[in-house]
Amino acid sequence: MHATSRDAWELELERLHAAAFGWALACCAGDRAAAEDALQASYLKILDQSARFDGRAGFRTWLFAVVRRTAAEQRRRAALRRLLPLAALDAAPDGRPDPAATLVRAEGTQRLEAALATLSRRQREVLHLVFYQDLTIAEAADVAGVSVGTARTHYERGKRALRRLLEEEPQ
Amino acid sequence: MSERDDHDLRDRFQRLRREDAAGATPFRATLAAAATRRAASSRPPALRIAAAAAALAALAVALVLATRGRHGIAIDLARARWEAPSDFLLRVPGAELLRSVPELGRVTPPFHSFGY
Repeated sequence: MHATSRDAWELELERLHAAAFGWALACCAGDRAAAEDALQASYLKILDQSARFDGRAGFRTWLFAVVRRTAAEQRRRAALRRLLPLAALDAAPDGRPDPAATLVRAEGTQRLEAALATLSRRQREVLHLVFYQDLTIAEAADVAGVSVGTARTHYERGKRALRRLLEEEPQ
Repeated sequence: MSERDDHDLRDRFQRLRREDAAGATPFRATLAAAATRRAASSRPPALRIAAAAAALAALAVALVLATRGRHGIAIDLARARWEAPSDFLLRVPGAELLRSVPELGRVTPPFHSFGY
């Protein structure tokens, strides 16, 4: 990668870092350590150009799709590690955040997270992309790799379910 | 669902967004951790190499054993004989009568020995 081009990518990534971190958290069901891992791996893919931006979608949409794919790869790898006794062969890489470092959450946010956790992954993803990241449903469909119609269905059903869950009295 | 409800949901997500942003690892620190991660993954640990070598050795041994097993034992099918555990049920008194062809004018069984 050309030095100036790498700098340009870094500037773009820095600009979107907070949003990408929030998206990585959503892809990893709130697991901060997993989200940081996914984000680091995604940045490496982009800076090493093993993931190439072809300009078909916006940069933010593409970055979110890379993060989503990377998080899914890590989930599969973690599931495989749980099945096979290979934990010793795949030690956590250096630079991993302290898993004990949790995010501070207000009560209302905790309720939102708990309610989101009961939705399907697709519904959660589409709602996050629309309400948290301010993407359109078409852009959310691009990120999630589904058709606009499917994304709209997940959006409507997810919104209804989330509303119902949030209206219930907290226990 | 009304627009007001959507607005309320958006508010909740934006609060979540602000809390995430407040707790996010800074970009430069994330990049530095990613660089450390790349350096670590480019140097495969000795344990991983040892495991790969052991797996290769096990595969080689399995291949050698399989090949040897295929060529090492010669079986002469013409001489092979198998006897079923229930064969004794077929051994009845006078069974030789069933296996021979009777001849006219000749009595083979020694009837006189039975007192006839």
